[in-house]
Amino acid sequence: MIKAELQDQIAIVSLNRPDKRNAMVPAMLEQLDQEIKDCAHKACALVIVGEGKTFCAGFDLKQCANDPGGETMRALLTGLSIVVRTMRAIEIPVVLGVHGAAVAGGCAMLGGADVVVADEQAKLGYPVVKIGVSPAVSAAFMMASITPGAVRTRLMDTELVSGIEAKRIGLVHETVESREDVRSRAIEIAHILSQKPGSAIRATKSWLNEICEPMTNNAQAGLDVSLSLTGSPEEQKRLAALWG
Amino acid sequence: MSAPVTLETEGLIATLTINRPEARNAMSIEILDGMHKAVVEVASSDASVLVITGAGRAFCAGMDLKAVLIELSGDAGLGEELLTSLAELTLKIRKLPQVTVASVNGAAIGGGCGLTCVCDVTISHADAKLGFPEVDLGICPAVIAPWVVKKLGGGMARKAMLMGGVMSGQEAKDIGLVDHLADDREGLGELTKTIADRLATGGPKALAATKGLLNEIDGSNEAEMVLKGAKLSASVLATPQAQAALAARLK
Repeated sequence: MIKAELQDQIAIVSLNRPDKRNAMVPAMLEQLDQEIKDCAHKACALVIVGEGKTFCAGFDLKQCANDPGGETMRALLTGLSIVVRTMRAIEIPVVLGVHGAAVAGGCAMLGGADVVVADEQAKLGYPVVKIGVSPAVSAAFMMASITPGAVRTRLMDTELVSGIEAKRIGLVHETVESREDVRSRAIEIAHILSQKPGSAIRATKSWLNEICEPMTNNAQAGLDVSLSLTGSPEEQKRLAALWG
Repeated sequence: MSAPVTLETEGLIATLTINRPEARNAMSIEILDGMHKAVVEVASSDASVLVITGAGRAFCAGMDLKAVLIELSGDAGLGEELLTSLAELTLKIRKLPQVTVASVNGAAIGGGCGLTCVCDVTISHADAKLGFPEVDLGICPAVIAPWVVKKLGGGMARKAMLMGGVMSGQEAKDIGLVDHLADDREGLGELTKTIADRLATGGPKALAATKGLLNEIDGSNEAEMVLKGAKLSASVLATPQAQAALAARLK
């Protein structure tokens, strides 16, 4: 479910479940976390992209709907929170390429990245309140990235925004015209980063992490809020209705 | 030798000019000392607005690289001295009761660009060059990073500081580094005057109270991270890799 390769000091980790639009299942997030940790020792920069037509559709809700006890949802929320924190914690810079769509849990991954590229027409957003799930798990890292006003709108409105609008609010740093070009541009940016003195890049990333800690320290609290709703009647009803 | 920093007041508007055009207004100890003195003078003046700008073609090229290259300066402690002085200067400027305006007439690089982020309003023109190329030189923009994060937000600050390089005035406007943009260098003076005049119409107490509150909310009064940044930046600066990269740049 995760593909990892090393290309001249650049680690490229791909979400690889293209027939499900790279929808996340718990084991996939565990693999992803492990790959991110492993590559930090082998590469100068990390690229995270998706195989197939879109970057990531978020959690695999069918699996969640089939698990009324909420174990799957809990594992996904926890796994996602861990992945985002790992992306932030590793010493090397992380470039994330969004082609097509980054929805819900897929969009949450932007919070851990240092540089985000998307195509102009990509769809991004966190439309999870409509299924009774709280995107609080993403709040801390979003607050540490974009303006508080934009965080509020994006986490509570179910709207998906284009790559262009996502760039305007700072969620995305660079756009390319075609979704076919996202992967190559993300790799190109990682190459640029890998050519810079590694010690300066590591010191700067870790210092920025420290500066943003007052915000990102809320990551666990956010996860706890999201977990607290798991298995609630509202969530169960809305999840079941998706497949009704 | 002309004064390294000049301070002129016209009505309610004070203008601090970094005056070392032959070195693109790079921050030496003399420049930093002059800026400290000027800022103290402004703090107790009746001015409502402080405009900071540079003499000649550049706004400020950042730290004086010749001073921080140990093989040239012969003083391994000078880097930390400069960085600590810059850190204290940024805190002093942020605390001013006056609204501060950076009028970026040309290159605003590294610490020079960080200086614009400390100001409340930044005005520039389309052809100016702004950015944080520290990582390209093997150094770490730690002193100014807290101010860049406050100006741009953590996400864009991260991208700008890790990617290094410089950007045009237009690109800087697009990411919020610049608030107002003149079409060209010639238009900057007039635009700066228009905005400074408008800011000066505000009640001085209302302006100072508003700025004070914003400083409190966004943690601008917490000196610890900025001063710690000076130590971190100095330690990276002293590494052989950084010194070699700086030497190569100067040759």
